[in-house]
Amino acid sequence: MPIKSGGFSRKSKTSSEVPSSSMADIAFLLLIFFMVSTVFQKDRDRPIEWPEAEATQKIDEKIKNILNIWVERNGDIFINDRPFAMTDVATTVGPLYAASDRALVISIRSDREVRYSTIDLLQQQLVAAGVMRVVFATELEQRMTRERR
Amino acid sequence: MAVMGKKKSKVSDEVPSSSMADIAFLLLVFFLVTTTFPKDAGLAIVLPEQGEDVAVSQRNILHIVIQPSGIVEVKRGESPQVQQVRPADVESIWRQDVAGNDNLIAAVKTHPDAPYRFMVDVLDALHTAGAERISLQILEG
Repeated sequence: MPIKSGGFSRKSKTSSEVPSSSMADIAFLLLIFFMVSTVFQKDRDRPIEWPEAEATQKIDEKIKNILNIWVERNGDIFINDRPFAMTDVATTVGPLYAASDRALVISIRSDREVRYSTIDLLQQQLVAAGVMRVVFATELEQRMTRERR
Repeated sequence: MAVMGKKKSKVSDEVPSSSMADIAFLLLVFFLVTTTFPKDAGLAIVLPEQGEDVAVSQRNILHIVIQPSGIVEVKRGESPQVQQVRPADVESIWRQDVAGNDNLIAAVKTHPDAPYRFMVDVLDALHTAGAERISLQILEG
């Protein structure tokens, strides 16, 4: 290239930078996309201590098809943030199960120290409601902590 | 200090900020991908239908009794011999027994006063061992 105009090279008119003026638009687009596509849990977490299991697996179902039944340490039962008596569980879950086209998965989120008789009564209620798929919600236990026990 | 004759350094003294957005997006995507909601997990079982009672031969049943203390008593079929083990030991017992009998059913009977977590421990051991025919009952009498 011959050097012209006293040794100064001419500047290219095309900008060498990536245009950044539309970056804010992209950011907002992503933000709005994730805001719209995120599904939040319907009910609030109850204060329970989770049981642990090594074989814990993710529930293979959409979040909207999972119904949480919380059992607190003293045996109180909560469904969708409302307390229920044990005898009302079948009549509450039954219609919800039918409305979901029998796709509903019940997640029993019980405190680890709850007496088993409570869980057994709950299972009987669920059988009476016709529910098939039940998951005992647990936290994943690492093999290391298990071997120490 | 010569004010007029001070030469400017050609190296910029600012931290380059053009790649900051890239870093931000990288972090955003990383956390989007790695975030899991751990509570949507557990041990899945299928409940029987109401009134569904199936007669099973005693020799196909592995009785697992969970006591309130967490001691697990394993009894095979009609044999009177009772083996006392820890919940985690059920895994190896199931593996051993199912190798000799493909139709084996685990009948988990939990004492009404036993904490729920012991039942979960036993169920965990059975799931880990690949057991599928599990019956959850309450210990009567």
